[in-house]
Amino acid sequence: MFLRNYAVSKALDSLLGFARTQGQRLSKYGSLFLTIVVCIVALGLGIFAVGDLQVVDLQAQQMYAVSVLGLRHIGELQYEAQETRRSTLYALTTNDSNRQLEYADQSRAADRHVTEGIAEYLKQAGIPQEIAMGHNLEADWADYLKIRDEVLASILEGSAKEAVDLDLKGGVPSFDRVRQDLDSIKRLYDERAAQQLALVDTSSRRSIYRLITVLTLTISFACISIWLVQRSRLAAALQLARLQMDFVASISHELRTPLSVIRSAAENICDGIVDNAEQLTGYGSMIRNQTRQVTDLVNQILLFAATRQRKQAYALTSVPFSQVLDSVTENISELLRDGGFVLEQHIDPDLPELLADPAALTQCLQNLVVNAIKYSGSSKWIGIFASHSTSENKVLIRVQDRGIGIAHSELKRIFEPFYRSPAVSAAQIHGTGLGLALARNIAQAMAGDILVQSELQSGSIFTIQIPVSPESQLRVRAKGFTTKASSTSK
Amino acid sequence: MGRVTNVVLILIAAGLSLWSFNSGAVGGVSLPEHAGSSDQNLAIVVNLANSVSDLSKVELRTIFLGQRSYWPNGRRITIVMLEVGHPERKALLQEVCQMTEKDYNNRILHGLFTGELFVSPKTLASPTGVRKFVFNVPGAIGYVRRSDLDDTVKVLRIEGKLPDDPEYPLHVDLRGVK
Repeated sequence: MFLRNYAVSKALDSLLGFARTQGQRLSKYGSLFLTIVVCIVALGLGIFAVGDLQVVDLQAQQMYAVSVLGLRHIGELQYEAQETRRSTLYALTTNDSNRQLEYADQSRAADRHVTEGIAEYLKQAGIPQEIAMGHNLEADWADYLKIRDEVLASILEGSAKEAVDLDLKGGVPSFDRVRQDLDSIKRLYDERAAQQLALVDTSSRRSIYRLITVLTLTISFACISIWLVQRSRLAAALQLARLQMDFVASISHELRTPLSVIRSAAENICDGIVDNAEQLTGYGSMIRNQTRQVTDLVNQILLFAATRQRKQAYALTSVPFSQVLDSVTENISELLRDGGFVLEQHIDPDLPELLADPAALTQCLQNLVVNAIKYSGSSKWIGIFASHSTSENKVLIRVQDRGIGIAHSELKRIFEPFYRSPAVSAAQIHGTGLGLALARNIAQAMAGDILVQSELQSGSIFTIQIPVSPESQLRVRAKGFTTKASSTSK
Repeated sequence: MGRVTNVVLILIAAGLSLWSFNSGAVGGVSLPEHAGSSDQNLAIVVNLANSVSDLSKVELRTIFLGQRSYWPNGRRITIVMLEVGHPERKALLQEVCQMTEKDYNNRILHGLFTGELFVSPKTLASPTGVRKFVFNVPGAIGYVRRSDLDDTVKVLRIEGKLPDDPEYPLHVDLRGVK
C-alpha cells in the first residue's frame, strides 16, 4: 500500500511538473511571438501615422510660407504704395523747398520698396496667373511713378495748381489701377490660403482618423494577444487536468487487475478451496506473476519520474549486445510463452560493443519489446535485429512487429509521456503511456535515440541507436587494418 | 651816412614787399590749401533729362536774372539758389550776374512785380538740396562746387569748358571762409 501510494504520488508530481513546464513553455513562446507581432504592427502603424502627421505639418508650413507670408508681403506693398502717394501729396502742404525735398525723398524711398517688392513677387511667382498679375502691377506702378515724378516736379517748381491737376488727371487713375492690382493679388493669395487651409483641414482630419485606427488596432492586437496567451495557459491547465485523470484511471486499472487476481487467489487459499499441492503451486505462481507485474509497473513509474527530474545517473560501460538481449529475453520469456509469440533474433557477427548502461539499455529494449507484444495483434511475431552503422558509428537495434501499426498523424506524438492513441484506447489495450517516452528518455540519456517507422495494419519498426564503445572502435579499426594488410600481402 | 641808411631801409622794405606778394600773404589773410584748384570751380547743373549741355556766360546771366524763362524743349526754367552767405552764391552773383546781393534781390523783386519772372528762385540750404532739387525738377538749373558733384545731375559746359578744364571761367572765392 505504501509502495503504491509512493509510486502514484511521485508519478503525479512528475506529471504535474511536466505539464506545467509544457504549459509555461507554450505560453512563454506564444506570448513572446505575439508581443513581437504586436510591436511590429504597432511600429509599422506608428511610422505610418507619424509620416501622415509630417505631411500635415508640411502642408501647414507651406500654407504659412505661401499664403500667410504672401499676404503679409502684399500688405507691406499696399502700405508702401500709399506712403509713396502720401509723401508726394504732403509736399503740397508747404512752400519751403527744403521740406518739399524731404517729402520727395520719403516718396522715392517708399517707391523703391514697392519696386523691390514687385520684383520679389515676380521672382517667387509660380503659376501663370501670378506672373501675369505681377507684370500688370509692374507696368501700372511704372505708369504711376512717371506721373508722380511730374507731380513732384510741379510741386518743387512751386506750381501747386499744376501739380494737383496732374495728380487728378493721371495720378489718381493710375494709382487706382495699382491698388486694384494689389487687391487682385491679395484675393489670389486669399483663395490659395483658403484652399491650403481646406487641404490642411482634410489632412488633419484624415490623420486623426488614422491615428484613432492605429490606436484601436494596437489595443485590439494587444487584447487579442493577451487573450491568446490566457487561452494557451488555460488549455495547458485543461490538458494537465485531463492527463492527470487519464493517468489516474490508467494506473488504477493497471493496479486493480493484478490486485484482484491476488486477492481472489488468497481468498481461495484461505477458504480451503485449494486442497492439494498442485493447486497451491498454481495459485502461488499466479500470485508471484501478478506481484511481479505490479512491481514492474511501479518501477516503470518511478523510473520515468527519475528521468523527468534528471535524477537518474547512468554508468556507461562497454557492453556486448548479446548480454542485453539475454536479459530481455529472460525477463519476457514467460510473457512470450504465455502469449504464444515467436521471437526472431539476428545479431551481426561483427557487432561491436555498445557504450551504455546495461540495466538501462535492458529496460529500454524491454519496453520496446513489450510494446511490440502489446500491439502485434494476431501475427504473434516479433523480431529483434542488431547491426552496425559504420557511417554513424552506432549500433542499430531494431524491434519489429507485424501488428496494427501506427497512423502517420500519430507518429510524432507517441513518444509524448502519457499519450495514448484514441484507437488504442478504443481497442481496450491497456497501458500507462509511459513505455515509449521512458525508452526514448533512456536512449537519449546515453547519447542515443529511438526512431520509428510504421504502416497501419503492416506493423512497426522501432530502432534504438546507441554509440559504439571506444574500445570496440579501436578493435574494429585494428581488425580492418589487419585485413587490409593481409589482402595487400597476398 | 644818412643817405646810405635810407637806401638800406628802402631795400629792406622792397625785399619784404616782394616776399609778401610772392607768398600771397596780402592783408594778413591766408588762402585755403586748395584755393585755385579745379575743386573750387563753380559747376552749373541741370536735370539729367535736359538736352542743353553748353551755355555762354551771357546766356547764363540771362537765365539767372530771369530774362529767359524756358528751355529750348519748352520746359519752364526753375532757378535754384543757395541761401545767402554761401560762397557759391556769392561767386555766381559776382561772376555771372555781376551784381551784389542787394542788386540781385531788387532785380528779382522787380521781375516778379512786372511779371517778367513767373516764380521766384528756389532757395535751398545746402549743395545736397540743390542736387536733389535739380534731380527732381526737369527744368531746374542750379550751381554747386565741383567737389559737390555726383551723377544725379548733369554738368553744363560754360564757354565750352567743363569745371575740370584749367580755363574754366567760374570759380568760388573761398577767401574769408572759415
